[in-house]
Amino acid sequence: MKKAFAVTLGILTAFGGFVDIGDLVANSLVGARFGMSLAWVVVVGVVGICLFAEMSGRIAATSQRPVFDLVRERLGPRAGVVNLSASFFVSLLTLAAEVGGASLALELATGVNYLLWVPGVAFVAWLVMWRVKFENMERIFGLLGLVLVVFAVALWALGPDWGELAGQLTSPPQAEGAPTYWYYAVALLGGAMTPYEVFFFSSGGVEEKWTRQDLVVARANVFVGFPLGGLLSLAIAACAATVFLPVQAQVESLAQMVLPVGLGLGKIGLALVILGVFAATFGATLETALSCGYTLSQYFGWQWGKLVRPVEAARFHTVLLVTVVLAAALILTTVDPVMVTEYSLVFSAAALPLTYLPVLMIANDPDYMGDHVNGRFTNALGTFYMVLLSVVAVAAIPLMIATKAGQ
Amino acid sequence: MRALLAAVALVVMLGGCVSPAWDDHDYALKAQETTKTAHSVVEMARLAVQHSTELHGPYLKTVLTDAAVDLGNVAQQFGGVQPPSDASDQVRDRTLEKVQQAEDEIDALLIQLRRGGIEQPRQAAARLEKLAGELQ
Repeated sequence: MKKAFAVTLGILTAFGGFVDIGDLVANSLVGARFGMSLAWVVVVGVVGICLFAEMSGRIAATSQRPVFDLVRERLGPRAGVVNLSASFFVSLLTLAAEVGGASLALELATGVNYLLWVPGVAFVAWLVMWRVKFENMERIFGLLGLVLVVFAVALWALGPDWGELAGQLTSPPQAEGAPTYWYYAVALLGGAMTPYEVFFFSSGGVEEKWTRQDLVVARANVFVGFPLGGLLSLAIAACAATVFLPVQAQVESLAQMVLPVGLGLGKIGLALVILGVFAATFGATLETALSCGYTLSQYFGWQWGKLVRPVEAARFHTVLLVTVVLAAALILTTVDPVMVTEYSLVFSAAALPLTYLPVLMIANDPDYMGDHVNGRFTNALGTFYMVLLSVVAVAAIPLMIATKAGQ
Repeated sequence: MRALLAAVALVVMLGGCVSPAWDDHDYALKAQETTKTAHSVVEMARLAVQHSTELHGPYLKTVLTDAAVDLGNVAQQFGGVQPPSDASDQVRDRTLEKVQQAEDEIDALLIQLRRGGIEQPRQAAARLEKLAGELQ
């Protein structure tokens, strides 16, 4: 009974924690412009993140060491530093986008400009990371993120033409050019497979002292929680496709992204979706900041984690503080948080192979994994994804330039 | 590492640039892009105004403020492109006039909202719909 409860709670947390500012922005933008014609990318992204999160969870449970700890050992310091730089830069940009997202959610709730909320969000995020236990922090915001299910309820209430939505799956709008279509496909994949999710999942496994016995729970989180999160992403896209595509309105801000819920469910739905967006982005703020601390500390071999006292992991906590300050400073320059999110998605897509190649290599190494090494099917799928992610990485920046970031 | 940072800076800077209009055709394309963006912004505002009684005041204020700012940016960006001929002057005037009308309408709605709420949401939505149609 206790185990079933732990599994259910883990699944719900993974489900609620799946959607962040990147998923919100990418799915809303894509739904409004391309209808459901890019839904296949969400499916590809969810399969990919499940595959690599399971591998990194297995690495953590088998070796009791997180991914980045092994990256330097396995790839050497030079290759490791390239990996670290790319991952850290993308996580920092994502952190800025999440801080901006949480502040924008507060603006929607209060009408007070989001820039005034940025320092407060950054300070409270740091305080939560300093004071709140890892498990509580993960669960509270993961479970609150479940409120975003209102997107699915709103979709039902909006009463879309289901046949029309299904028809969009195979036919992108004629008005959009192929480069723009593929640019958004790349952004959507970057949103679904954001690197910090793997660092956080793997380091979280070590924080929670996973052993081989915990693999069942970890796999349930990944294989049930993440696909449910993927369905939520599709509901966000479908809401945008139902409300915005027929009137050719493009989504540019967070306020517009939640409008379909307001139209479908009124004031209560709107209040819930704003709460859900805040929980999702604030939760992701914590995850991305911690991921920055994890990657840097694990690479340099510093003491890290929330289970040790801050005085014993001073450098880890300094990194957390500095990254949160940097992210808040970036948003305070008045750069549009949605634009930061779009850039973070594309740079994330460009860095995907650097993040996932070491995971595949280590999960395939019997010296680290023993009898929990990858099977043939996992290896074949992992190799396929590495080829795919390499193509995406090469195409990401040229597509961004060619389409003027999707304009 | 330096090369990577330089490349990132270059990409970001290029993204913020407004390219000039080479000829009338190019200018017309830019005008079309401007009206398309303005149409999208006005449609968003219309959807919110049409359902304004079902939405919270602070939320509605944010949506309309965003719309007003977006229209201002669109007009400023297009206004910054120099028309290459007299024919393009007319395109410029027509485009900017329509965008300005939309901006004025949304500004007026924001004032109403500040003074207690949008007075006649249905009529306001109809006006926005007409403006959106003209921008299409």
